[in-house]
Amino acid sequence: MDFRDRVILVTGASRGIGAAVARAFAAEGGRVAVNYLRNAEAAEAVAAECRALGGDGWPVRADVGDAEAVAAMFEGVEREFGAIHAVVNNAFLAYAFDPAARTPFWDLDWADYERQMEGSLRGCFNVCRAAIPAFAERAEGSIVNIATDLVERPSIPYHEYTTAKAAVVAFSRNLAVELGPRGIRVNCVAPGLVYPTEGSRNTSEAAMERIVADTPLRRIAAPEDVAGPVLFLASDWSRFMTGQTLYVDGGLVMR
Amino acid sequence: MLGGGRRIPGGGEGVAAVAELAGHLPGLPAESVARETLRFSAWGRCAEVAAPVLSGDQLTALAAHVRRSRERFLAGLRTQEIVDILDRAVRTLLDRSDPRRRRAEELLPAVTGYDPETVRLGLTACLKTFRGAQLSAFVAEDFANPQMLDGFQPLRKGGYGRAFGPALIAHVWAGNVPGLPLWSLVSGLLVKSANIGKLPSAEPLMAGWFAGAVADIEPRLADCIGIVWWKGGDEVRQQALLDQAGLVLAYGGNATLERIRARVPVATRFLPFGHKLGFGMIAAAALDADKAAGVARRAALDIVRYDQHGCYSPHVFYVERGGAASPRVFASYLGGELAALSHRFPRRALDAEEAAGLAAARQEAEIRSAVSDSVEIAGDAEGAWRVVFADDDPGLAPAGANRTVKVAALDRLDDALPEIARHAPWLQTVGVAAAPEELFRLSALLGEAGASRVCALGEMTAPEAGWHHDGRFNLLDLVRIVEIERGAEAAAEDFAAYCD
Repeated sequence: MDFRDRVILVTGASRGIGAAVARAFAAEGGRVAVNYLRNAEAAEAVAAECRALGGDGWPVRADVGDAEAVAAMFEGVEREFGAIHAVVNNAFLAYAFDPAARTPFWDLDWADYERQMEGSLRGCFNVCRAAIPAFAERAEGSIVNIATDLVERPSIPYHEYTTAKAAVVAFSRNLAVELGPRGIRVNCVAPGLVYPTEGSRNTSEAAMERIVADTPLRRIAAPEDVAGPVLFLASDWSRFMTGQTLYVDGGLVMR
Repeated sequence: MLGGGRRIPGGGEGVAAVAELAGHLPGLPAESVARETLRFSAWGRCAEVAAPVLSGDQLTALAAHVRRSRERFLAGLRTQEIVDILDRAVRTLLDRSDPRRRRAEELLPAVTGYDPETVRLGLTACLKTFRGAQLSAFVAEDFANPQMLDGFQPLRKGGYGRAFGPALIAHVWAGNVPGLPLWSLVSGLLVKSANIGKLPSAEPLMAGWFAGAVADIEPRLADCIGIVWWKGGDEVRQQALLDQAGLVLAYGGNATLERIRARVPVATRFLPFGHKLGFGMIAAAALDADKAAGVARRAALDIVRYDQHGCYSPHVFYVERGGAASPRVFASYLGGELAALSHRFPRRALDAEEAAGLAAARQEAEIRSAVSDSVEIAGDAEGAWRVVFADDDPGLAPAGANRTVKVAALDRLDDALPEIARHAPWLQTVGVAAAPEELFRLSALLGEAGASRVCALGEMTAPEAGWHHDGRFNLLDLVRIVEIERGAEAAAEDFAAYCD
């Protein structure tokens, strides 16, 4: 896939899935805005890798939960790169995927759900709002929102996390209907458990083996596995697809 | 065990900030010890290890120190007290936030070449077998009455017996699988011997970290442990150690073991542990449509763990015809699982010699495949794994290791037994998937052929605590039994102050 001269904003790209997606765009020639919240050093390292891979990389700090900060980030990206062609909403509130230490429903408060809705949906909302004017000028643009296959099959009930991600899927479908006529596509990529990432490093071997046993392709996803479908949905190869969710979990979920 | 890390000859590529000090040398002033730097690199990491190079005099002084420490402290401990100290030391190394454990996870991938996940999981699996309850199992396995290690106990024949370990045990370790030296070192401590172990150049760290962890808990016990190093083939230093020991345990290939045996003083006991050739047996009953893929996954894990460099690792799987999944289908499942596992646990990079060995084995298989319909090869383009499928060819031989395995289809598993028996001296572990009656029937035949350990698939590289290594006794082989004969006790009665 050729992303030469295409500008892509990847949120939460200093590590894990976001970093792998940023590198994959760069390897195809893309110019990547590497958004981060806290770890400037890691984001700069990812940006440097993007440059080394033949694309371009530019670290940009912004809390995606803060609409003003997001607007400023878009201004910055357009100033740096001149345009913006695709955004990948990958940033989310830190969440520990540890089956043994998860909080059961009866110990959760509404505030826990609110925090996840803020973390997953609000960031997505802010970035999409800011992206529309940039895309609408050319009547083209692709938004890829990262969800989770847990919305379809909650193998482990991470209640508040998965509920918020399900909201992201519904949000994306509505947005696809709204923005389709303006040439903007909105799709989701729903990975299964991705290892290793900051969130999954405490997932036990036993839990991973259980998932692997039910997964036709017989392994856990690596961050790099998520990149291919994201690039596909961001590219013209998927130009007649919108409102879709691609499950990237080795066949655990089929629909 | 065989294999080795990726040693960088001389200086050169990336240099780590601080060299890790290898070894454990109680009683020797640190500044008096010469060091040689070993450099390793893999997975984008570098490690520098400062290995100790002792003079002959220093080796003698170290031997004297650990012996003296044993007399003063270890010889007077009860076995349970030793178990408790080792348990606490092992628990610190099981804690992933422990500084030594963190060093181990950081450095061992570079040193051994095994990927970081294999090292992390392997360390935990290995260390778990040395916790208190497991160490008690070690002792109970060899001693019907474990108090025999602490004092004279009544014997069935009459009289009393007590087990004594030698004053000093010398260990000559080999291979690059992290943690292997712990098996013999822990055994030596449980029989209350002082121990000096020679580190393998391919993994010169873990034994020293273990001794360090013991030192944090009970320095007087760590004072009974010396961990040394010399370059392979240094006969002078080796002799200095062999001459001091009451018992010598050595690991390695037959040529190495022969050389050591020739140097061990005639009155000193010598326990050699040579290379072994593991294999698996899969009965038709384990190959129904529901179970076959799971069996293949467990077999693949046994292949992937340490890239077949353990003495217990499998090199051939005998697969019985007649199950719902044919041996050919099983072979393709095995290939699929090896491919899937290589994402999570990539194979270590091979050095030139290993790569050449693997290429030669591949070429030979390709020629056989070209001239025969009954041989098929599957593997990925980079050679990260390879399955050679052969009809009715029970030949048992390693095919280059490093995730190369043969699947041999047979009408009956028994058809492999004559070939297996031909390799009796090299047999040890057999992974078996079969129904219970078949498991026992096969085990009897395998035992007769020379095997010493039958285990489940997926567990070939993780022997149980207290297993009989090569069919021998871990502790009993180290001790001598001192008897007080019945007559001696009866005669003593006459001399008691309270004698009527």
